[in-house]
Parts: sequence; structure tokens; C-alpha cells
Amino acid sequence: MTIRLVGVSASYPTLRVIICLKELGLPYELEPPASYQSLKDEDYIANKHPFGKTPVLFDGDFRITESRAICRYLASKYQGKHNDTILIPNDVHKAGLVDQFISYELSYYDPPLLKIVYQKKFVKNFLNKDPDPEIIKQAHEELAKVLDVYEKLLEGKEYLNGEYSLADLVHCPGTYCVYGAGHSDLWDSRPNVKNWWNRLCNRD
Amino acid sequence: MTIKLIGQSFSGPTVRVIICLKELGLPYELEPPASMQSLKDEDYIANKHPFGKMPVLFDGDFRITESRPICRYLVSKYQGKHNDTILIPNDVHKAGLVDQFISYELSYYDPPISKLLYQEKVSKRFFNKDPDPEVIKQAREEFAKVLDVYEKLLEGKEYLNGEYSLADIVHTYYAYGIITHSDLWDNRPNVKNWWNRLCSRDAIKTSLEETKSFWENNENI
Repeated sequence: MTIRLVGVSASYPTLRVIICLKELGLPYELEPPASYQSLKDEDYIANKHPFGKTPVLFDGDFRITESRAICRYLASKYQGKHNDTILIPNDVHKAGLVDQFISYELSYYDPPLLKIVYQKKFVKNFLNKDPDPEIIKQAHEELAKVLDVYEKLLEGKEYLNGEYSLADLVHCPGTYCVYGAGHSDLWDSRPNVKNWWNRLCNRD
Repeated sequence: MTIKLIGQSFSGPTVRVIICLKELGLPYELEPPASMQSLKDEDYIANKHPFGKMPVLFDGDFRITESRPICRYLVSKYQGKHNDTILIPNDVHKAGLVDQFISYELSYYDPPISKLLYQEKVSKRFFNKDPDPEVIKQAREEFAKVLDVYEKLLEGKEYLNGEYSLADIVHTYYAYGIITHSDLWDNRPNVKNWWNRLCSRDAIKTSLEETKSFWENNENI
């Protein structure tokens, strides 16, 4: 039975799961919700996501939500079954560090990215208001400091944990969105970060 | 070699790891940092946590940061070695759901409760700023909605994933004994029973007592 993914590919948590499915060689069907408002319907809340969010993944009768949890589940279950791609190393210490870098993405990298995406994509397109330049400026500065740390973390390494892993994957959708929204200098002015990003972009 | 944990027993993320260590029957040494400011020192950033945070765990030469990954690592490595406690099920589907509930805690449960804790415990004590009643009101309303969802999630269940797991542990720091909004829990029977069940576990009870004692002894920092 094909995996079903409820979400829109423009949403970067959904995109995280899509990249993971592709990396693992897993066929899937993408099922966009009826509308953004439908996520708050009683039926959606009861049967898909109790907090009214996307993505939601159905693997047969099994339902799981939250993009990073979904990715870890897919890696645990299917890694090595359809191809050789390893997203979570088998060694407990290396796996621990991949998990740590996923947490860095969530705690430090994602918040300023989200602010910029919200202002530049959401506020205009959905709320018909102008983006707030002050918020964008602060988020840009916050992200600059985070990328300074990443520049050091990537010293002498091709990927965050040495070899490509789920840790790198989770960073891709948000980065892609903000990089293309006029903030590419943040990545391009830091050689380790720039090379890391280019390497990630080269993966199918 | 004993596990070394850098952190403070009043800090939620550190307590998460302490509970996990106790549940797994693992001895450890808690090493509080010199001061909150020392977390920004060059040496701390280079050798402990690149973002200047705690907790940080050393298992021999292996260093790992971020409380939830630390817990998952400890479970992966030590679960079942010192006792029978299972914090992450072996079944891949059940483990996936535990992970999902950990994500709910992080995404939806933690933000409003962190705001409440900051306003009511940290703001005056550490930064000499008065609590903001508007922020408290909004955070309370947000948290009430989250607990409404949890009330449904816990229907017919003793713990979030049926059996006790890491998913329940990550929720426990913000005890209603520490912040003054116990009505939010008490008005929701499933949530209240879940909470009482958690508080009666030794690892959680003793860890929260340490935290409560810190706040009581440091009323006037």
C-alpha cells in the first residue's frame, strides 16, 4: 500500500518529509488538504492532526504527524530497504549526534527562518498586509549569528555529522525558501556553509 | 566512568535528562556551570555547547547536547541494561508515536508554559523586571487550548502512548506545583490523572522535589 502524505509541497515541513521519502526510494501520494481553513475542521482534528497542522503521513493504517518524527520513523522502518542511503547511522553515538543537529535546526536555525518566511510569504499572500521590515531585519541578524556557529560546526566537514544524514536534510526546505527570498548573502559569505549548501542542492 | 551532566536542577531541559538518567538506573554527576554568564564564555562555546546552552552530557569522551537528543541517546544505549524500564518501545510504529508526542510537547505544550514560567519565576528574580499580566493572560489561554487537546489525546489512556515512555517524561518539568495555574490541570480529569500518575513515579517525584526546593530556597535572589 502506497504511503499517503497529507500536505502541500510549498510548506516546508511537508517538503522535509518529501525529501526523506525520495532519499529512501519510497513511493508516495501527496494529498493536499481541501484548503488552509479545512485544517481546523472537526474531522481533520479528530482524524488527522489534533493540533490542525500538516504534514500527516499514513503508512497503511498507521498515522503519524510532526515532520521530524515522521522522518525518523521512515528512516527507522525503511532505511536500507530500497537503496543504500543511510539517514540515521546505526552506531548509537553517531545517531545521537545526528539527533543533536536536528535539534539545533529546530531550536536555533528554524525560528529566524520562519519569521522571514512568515513575513515575506504568508503576511502578503494570506493576510494581504505588507511585510514588517523591522522583523525581517532582526530575523536576518539572528540568522547571521546562527550561521556563524554553523560555519564553525562545518569546519573540516562535508556534512554536519561528517556524512550526509537526516540532520542535513531537515535544514533544506527552510534554507531553500529563505535563500531564494533575497537572503543568499547569509550563506554565500561563509565558505563552509556555502559549500555545504551547494552540496545539498546537488542531491537529486 | 560516570556520566557527567552540566546543568542546573532548576532548568527544565536539565531536569528532563535527570529524570531519564534516574529512570534508566544510571549514576551521574551533576555539574552546575559557574554562572549563567559563563555559558557565553569562549571556552564553554568551544568545548561544551556551541550555542551557549545547557544541558551538556559527557559519557566518557562522548559529548552530546540538547535535552531530547540526550534522552534518546541514553535510552538507545542503556535501556534495559540496568533495569526493565522501557522508555522507547522497540516496535517501530510505537517508537514513532512516542517521537510524535515528544514533538507535540516541543511545538505546542512548551511555548505557552515557558512564557508563564518566565513571567512568574524568572523575569523578576533574574532580570528585575515585573511580570507582564497581558503576556500571562495570553499564555494561559493558549495553554488552556493545548490542554483541551491533551484531554482528548489521553482519553482511555494512562499515558500519552498507552504505556509510560519518554513522551511523558519530557512533559514533566513544568509541575503545577511550581507555577500557580493548577486549575488548568484540575479542570481536566484525564490530564489531572495523568499528571498524578507521573508525579507518583520515584524518578519524577525526587527530581521535581529538587527543583521545587531550589525555587523555595532562592525566593529572594
